[in-house]
Amino acid sequence: MKISMDWLKEYLPVDHSVEEIANKVSLTGIESAPVKLGTDLSKLVVGHITSIKPHPDSDHLNLCQVDIGQSKEVQIVCGAPNVANDQYVIVALDGADLPAGKKIKKGEIRGQVSNGMICGLDELGVKESLVPTAYQKGIYVFPAAETPGQDAKELLGLNDEMVDLDITPNRADTLGMRGAAWEIGATYDEKPQFTDPKLDETKVKAVDDVKIQIKADDLVTDYLVRTVSGVKVSESPLWMQRRLWNQGIQPVNNIVDAANYVMIEYGEPVEVYDLDKLDDKSVTVEMATDASKLVLDDKITKDLNQNDLVINSGNVTLGLAGVIHGQNAQVTSKTTNVLIESAVYDGTSVRKAAQRHDLRGDASNRFEKGVDNGAVEISLNRVVELIDEITDLDSYSQVLVGKETPAKPTIIKASIEHINRLMGITLTDQEMIKILDRLGFTTAENGDQLTVTIPSRRWDMTIEADLIEEIMRIYGYENLKGTLPSGNETNGGYTPQREFINKLKSVLLSEGMDETITFGLVSKKEATDFNTVESEYTRVLHPMTEDHEYLRTSLIPGLIKTIAYNKARKTSDISIFEQGRIFDREEVNDRPKEVEYIAGALSGDLGADTWNTNAKKADFYDMKAIVEELLEFLNVEATFEFTPTDKIEHLHPGQTAIITADEKTVGFVGKLHPEYQAKSSVDDTYVFELNVYSLLALTKKNVKAQSAPKYPSVSRDLAILVDKQIASGQIVKDIFNNGGEYLKDVNIFDVYQGSNIEIGHKSLGYHLIFQNPNDTLTDDTVEKAFTQIKDSLIDQFDVEVR
Amino acid sequence: MSLNDRLKELRASGIDDAKRAEHLKDLNDLRVKLLGKKGPITQALRGMKDVPKEERPEIGTLANNVKKDIQEAIENRIQEVNQRIIAQKLQEETLDVTLPAQSHKIGTKHILNQTIEDIEQFFIGLGYEVAPGYEVEEDHYNFERLNIPKDHPARDMQDTFYITNELLMRTQTSAQEGRDMDAHDFSKGPLKMISPGIVYRRDDDDATHSHQFHQLEGLVVDKNISMADLKGTLEALCRHVFGPDREIRFRPSFFPFTEPSVEVDVSCFNCGGEGCRICKYTGWIEVLGAGLTHPNVLKMSGIDPQQYSAFAFGLGPERFAMLKYGIDDIRDFYTNDVRFLEQFKGVN
Repeated sequence: MKISMDWLKEYLPVDHSVEEIANKVSLTGIESAPVKLGTDLSKLVVGHITSIKPHPDSDHLNLCQVDIGQSKEVQIVCGAPNVANDQYVIVALDGADLPAGKKIKKGEIRGQVSNGMICGLDELGVKESLVPTAYQKGIYVFPAAETPGQDAKELLGLNDEMVDLDITPNRADTLGMRGAAWEIGATYDEKPQFTDPKLDETKVKAVDDVKIQIKADDLVTDYLVRTVSGVKVSESPLWMQRRLWNQGIQPVNNIVDAANYVMIEYGEPVEVYDLDKLDDKSVTVEMATDASKLVLDDKITKDLNQNDLVINSGNVTLGLAGVIHGQNAQVTSKTTNVLIESAVYDGTSVRKAAQRHDLRGDASNRFEKGVDNGAVEISLNRVVELIDEITDLDSYSQVLVGKETPAKPTIIKASIEHINRLMGITLTDQEMIKILDRLGFTTAENGDQLTVTIPSRRWDMTIEADLIEEIMRIYGYENLKGTLPSGNETNGGYTPQREFINKLKSVLLSEGMDETITFGLVSKKEATDFNTVESEYTRVLHPMTEDHEYLRTSLIPGLIKTIAYNKARKTSDISIFEQGRIFDREEVNDRPKEVEYIAGALSGDLGADTWNTNAKKADFYDMKAIVEELLEFLNVEATFEFTPTDKIEHLHPGQTAIITADEKTVGFVGKLHPEYQAKSSVDDTYVFELNVYSLLALTKKNVKAQSAPKYPSVSRDLAILVDKQIASGQIVKDIFNNGGEYLKDVNIFDVYQGSNIEIGHKSLGYHLIFQNPNDTLTDDTVEKAFTQIKDSLIDQFDVEVR
Repeated sequence: MSLNDRLKELRASGIDDAKRAEHLKDLNDLRVKLLGKKGPITQALRGMKDVPKEERPEIGTLANNVKKDIQEAIENRIQEVNQRIIAQKLQEETLDVTLPAQSHKIGTKHILNQTIEDIEQFFIGLGYEVAPGYEVEEDHYNFERLNIPKDHPARDMQDTFYITNELLMRTQTSAQEGRDMDAHDFSKGPLKMISPGIVYRRDDDDATHSHQFHQLEGLVVDKNISMADLKGTLEALCRHVFGPDREIRFRPSFFPFTEPSVEVDVSCFNCGGEGCRICKYTGWIEVLGAGLTHPNVLKMSGIDPQQYSAFAFGLGPERFAMLKYGIDDIRDFYTNDVRFLEQFKGVN
């Protein structure tokens, strides 16, 4: 809420700049910003139109003679449809500044001199929706005579300076000028002075024919009414109008405006109804039915339901309680008797109704955050006082009570020692009591214990911690000196799981892969495409878009999307990985398991064509090499195997392998299926995905240091011709199975098929290394093992040894 | 010619030959030729028998000196030739060192993870555990245990991705507080933890909003934890992240799970507090929210707020990174343009 300095000064002697106040209030209480109106306006005065005649050369312009407080009247050409003689209007003089750099110059309009411009409020920067309806399509007319030549900017409140309080939900007590005055006063150690409304008791006439019923008792805390008779509905006086539009409220008429004015003053929404339009002078607060309708205006009617708390009169719904008053029983120019209602409704109910019907406003904003139920009656009386002041009422009723809950002050007990200990400060009892007094709280002291009485306007205060916050903020956080917790030492660090993840990531980074982070919520398609864990899908109830509707079951779609995104931006050589969670749900559970995965993708070239190197197109084996290095770094006992598979949808059936650790699946590596690749707008792309938890569960190798071998190794080369279908992995496995205890390593150095090789066959070349750590190997021993290897291969795979 | 003269002559010509030799091979040949068993000195010494006996030792000494001098001349020349060969080799091997090297690229850690790990390392040094959390969380931990009861505006359906009535995508890493307090054995000492992770909000993605982002929660529970401890801790954090000259300030704020609650500003690292575009000419930048844990939150974990107190804070790694590196679109973190990612190589 914007706190007008002009208004605030009625309560507090503040003469600091708005900048200074906003800064100080921000540091002690509520985030605030200074607002200065009209800095772009100049040379605006009150003008009195003393005569008017049509422009000789125009069908819509008029020539106005205007008294602007100078010795001579001036002529101004005006095209506004509502201009008329004897109006007091806003005149922008020759040289006047208007918003957006607009400058007014004396000149001629169709041959007639015009010494300035008669203005509408919107032309001075007031939002059109805040301009009184009658003046929206033309010039603004002052509601009463003003002195010609007087500064119009000041008169219209357009030079006001304000402090805009951006309140947190707990500080709704400052959504009224009085609450704000308390807050700003506490900041400056000044107590605000208020005058309570005084009604003319002689005008009170007992009323007994107004019927009030509260049928939704749990949603209504207070419901007080007064009726007033003999109102003369008209425009509000200027002082009221300008305060309202500066508050972002459109002036309507003196009755509605008085109610709105009191809402700003006390933070308490008040509603007014045309008493004579109520059915049998009755109002009922009750739940709507699913058939209820609320007519807002000629165009908009809201369908209500049984969750809506409404104000009814007979069969007619007048309004949504605490949210909006509809068209029925509105105060109009014909109204003479008014029912004024001051109530407190359940905040949650108001908030939900306002949301449901998309009708959030000034009243609902206050109710949903809470209002002071100690100010219900005073607000009601204040509206009566204002209306009486403005329109001189014939009479008004006593307070009619629909429901009343006594406002009780809150008592909080606090320990001086505890306050100091929790803050890390050393204030004395007197210092604390003084701070509490600034806030308008009264304190009784008994040894270490403070008993603090808090008025109902600060309903946010309930426990000692609240009190501590008040003391600390007024004392000033800048006086708090930082320390570090002084308790017992603790062991900090990562979980073993996180240590493991950090290691995996460091390997992939070393392999040249950039780390990416993609979204956990994905489209249905992305959740489906690589669901190799065969999870049930988990969907959020109210997705924002179809793109982020399901919890991911694989990291691969995010990586592919990233490659496509980069490719569309002309970066086609990509090597990336992501470490994150997938969500694996079983049908019987609502809650998915969150499983840490790590996945990578290669696309395009490795390296680049440079003056001394050539780019190489990434292939399956490049991806596999990275995976193997990653697995190597795990330092585990398990044997990893890559088994060909054509079962993973969207992966190439001839370039994909399931990765197992001691025959348990831990992930896969493969090339995207050409069709899927094309649909995903990426080039040849290779991916892998590994379950981090499965890898972490593997038994670690117990590394015992060994000296480097003392005896030389012996090598043998083996070239074989074998059926194309036989995988090298099978051959190597067989070689190891038959190579004896001294076979250390088998490396493949040649794979060939083509000319000179029998069709359907391939030639494979292996380099075998034998070593005995304890002795020199004899040729005889090696030859024996080599023969056994060859014999087995011939036997098992029908190979031809070359 | 006397043997004496003969030897001297051999010395002169040998040294001369050595000095003139251009190649190592010639020098080796020369050595063999002059100093070998069939060489002229050995030959000359055969004439020793004709030398009077008393002169023989002198001749012998001379012969040895001649051998030594020739040897030395050859050695010297070898060295000279070697140096020349090396110089020539160096000349031939000279490269254009300004040509680019063949790169062996190392990947770049995502800037968000670099930011998070930097903060983690800071807190690990202060004895904090890094606790993981759940991205799919129970309403109970995400809201109720944080003093956000049912019907509280902060838990509107429209802000939260619910999965069922009781399950949701966590909206804050604060959800981890209840779990960690429940699990902690206070007889073993204070609880000091941070919990980084991904959170979700029902927002439309734009330059300043993302439906997925990161948070890092901090929580310390012990006897006598104070607001001053919170300030000192965050002061040290901000200096670690934003530079040693930074100051921080607390402004009152409101969070349901802390009381008192504060917003924390850090003095502008760009202008040092003078006022600039980054700090919107205030000299201060809002970086995180914090406070003393609300007594209700402690009570719900069975912790007596009269005996224990706690502070908590929550910060946004995206915001930290955006401020520190001048990133102006939060979506950049999640679209992963590699040109964006790679510019942060090694920043932390």
